[in-house]
Amino acid sequence: MKNIGGKLSVLAFSSIVLIPLFLALDRLVWVAGFDPVQWFSAIEANHLSQGSVGFTFLQAILSTIATIVIGLPIAWQLGRYKWRGSGLMRAILTMPFVIPSIIAAMGFLAFVGPHGMGFRADQDTHLWTLIIAHAWFNMALVIRFTEPVLSTLDRDLEDQLRLLPAGKTLWGKLRNLWIPLLTPSIAAAACMTFIFSFTSFALVRWITPLESTLETVLADVGERAGISGYEVYANDLVLASSLIQFTVMLASLWLMSWLQERRQSLLPQASENSNLKANPRGLLILVPGLFFALAPLVTVAWSSLRIPVREQGELTYHWGVEGWVEAWSGGYSNTGVGDALLNSLGYAGITLIVALPLGWSLAKTIHELELSKSRWSRFLDVFTMLPFAFSAVMIGLGVLLGILKLDGELNSLWLLPVLPHIMLTTPFVVRIMLPAFRGLDPSYDEGARILGLSQSERFWKIRLPLLRGPLLVAITFTLAMSLGEFGASWVVARSGEWDTLPVLIDSLRSRTGWDPLIQPTAAAAATTLMLITLLLFMTVERFRPKGEGGMF
Amino acid sequence: MLKCNGLTKAYSKVLFENLDLELGSGEIAAITGPSGCGKTTLLRCICGLEELDSGSITLNGEDITSMRTEDRGVGLIFQKPVLYPHLDVGGNLRLAGGNIEKALSEVGLEGFSTRSIASLSGGEGQRVALARALLARPQILLLDEPFSSLDHELSLRLVEDVRAVLKLRNCSAILVTHNKEEATKFADIILEIF
Repeated sequence: MKNIGGKLSVLAFSSIVLIPLFLALDRLVWVAGFDPVQWFSAIEANHLSQGSVGFTFLQAILSTIATIVIGLPIAWQLGRYKWRGSGLMRAILTMPFVIPSIIAAMGFLAFVGPHGMGFRADQDTHLWTLIIAHAWFNMALVIRFTEPVLSTLDRDLEDQLRLLPAGKTLWGKLRNLWIPLLTPSIAAAACMTFIFSFTSFALVRWITPLESTLETVLADVGERAGISGYEVYANDLVLASSLIQFTVMLASLWLMSWLQERRQSLLPQASENSNLKANPRGLLILVPGLFFALAPLVTVAWSSLRIPVREQGELTYHWGVEGWVEAWSGGYSNTGVGDALLNSLGYAGITLIVALPLGWSLAKTIHELELSKSRWSRFLDVFTMLPFAFSAVMIGLGVLLGILKLDGELNSLWLLPVLPHIMLTTPFVVRIMLPAFRGLDPSYDEGARILGLSQSERFWKIRLPLLRGPLLVAITFTLAMSLGEFGASWVVARSGEWDTLPVLIDSLRSRTGWDPLIQPTAAAAATTLMLITLLLFMTVERFRPKGEGGMF
Repeated sequence: MLKCNGLTKAYSKVLFENLDLELGSGEIAAITGPSGCGKTTLLRCICGLEELDSGSITLNGEDITSMRTEDRGVGLIFQKPVLYPHLDVGGNLRLAGGNIEKALSEVGLEGFSTRSIASLSGGEGQRVALARALLARPQILLLDEPFSSLDHELSLRLVEDVRAVLKLRNCSAILVTHNKEEATKFADIILEIF
């Protein structure tokens, strides 16, 4: 690694990621003592976490299956047939993935709860609501992973098979072409869905309040951990839950990386098929799919204007903007939507200022190492993905406990939420920019050198304009992620004054006692965040490279 | 053996109209003509990948005009070798059934069955595609400019090799090409479309 910038970016990233987590681990072990058997046995021994391991795996596996079952037929229709407005349909169907999870939770509760369609009647349906909500949230992954394979498949491969004995029957076509070709993409999407469901926080917290996952256990007991002699069990639970999550996520990420390599090797196609046929019957799948994607979001906006009124034991509704007025004035919370939005935008802005150049520099360094065939390229590539192996709550706790180890006073620092946001977003910037660097034709830079352009001139005049698309995707993605981030912010920023918009929405929903304006107020705050996220999402869609698929 | 009567196909312009074609058993024909004249479309119509506007096709006395592509008994080799990247050479050949090693030796690729598709050169890829097409025992083999992406020397060598294999099997074939030299070396009869 010759360049100073590259060395500095690696050093900065290592410090941001490793130091707080190392300090947190050190603090927890110092309080709890090094006794792994005690840590793990505490999970089943403590009523706060009993059954959480089983429930975490159960809901994650069921959610993964449901996501594939719902997402795959939609991807098939989108990829195999010609649709008018397919770009818009694709955008709507993949939108749920970028919506902050707290809004997804609100949308589902409003949609199937007692003030919506009333499906969510008892504890049994809580689990199914969670699974469907996870499928809603993650179906974009299945669509984005499999649809490019379907839409860019060289038609000659299909035609050739039809002319061979093994491709005469539908089963023959499935067995010899579709199943082997789609399996790595489906499995990669399943892996990501499993990871997201396994570490889901807002949806579990709100949809299955009577059940705990490892992530909600971490969030619930985390604030009691790290204090010597005080509720030592909390340290055991945090250590055990974190270690299980870390191991499962690391294994899933490894599997995911292996599957992605296999997936890439099965993608010899270059361009999208232009001679697709129409399939009117496919509307039977796409229309319900579009309804499914939009319903929870529309319900959030709808419920912000629907005010319940209880008169003589009867519940009726009227339309009004009282919820919006309360949300913006802060009548039910420490801060109004305006202040919380400013906090969120401030945190997102600072996150962007740090994460974007850091992620850019790391991606560029990895690419340069790849070009020089250095073994360090693979190491750095994997190292930049390390935060993916930590859940949002784990990162939040890591920062909280790590800072506590340094200086307890720092816990009230308003800037604190920026640190987990940087940890969470920088790997995404790297993942977006690295393929862009790899795809950049080196002859562009060589030509500019021959013309006598300096390094900075080549950066401003050549590289930056050529990488404008992925750079804008990285900017909007970082902003959207930071604005919607809930798990880590919920752990780190609960002082009231510095509430982010997702934390404000959660605190509004958490108010006890019946008040007709609570639900519309929380929904109004959620609608504000949703509209900003959608605006950012539409920007991303404009600049997202076509046909690549994957998460971004 | 192959009899095409009054074939007509048009998109925005007419590609061919009332085209008649007859090919005897074991006979090899080449069709030449400029780009966009409908050579490839004609092959795709014969094997059923495209629908004709009018006309009929019979193969060994059986009318195959409305038959499914899968059931026509026609083989096709595309311009670039269409080999499945998730399968090795042997796996690709197994899709057609038959004796894989014998088929590979026939095209000069002994011991290639475990090779990955990515490791094949352009010429080797086309030989694998030919071996697979022949393994399926088609009644007629259609070749859509399969040598055009290869260098001159290699393409001429392959032209001779493929012709020899086809003659050995008494398999009828139609080659579409814009290269007259290739057509002369490969075919018994040459048809020109304008």
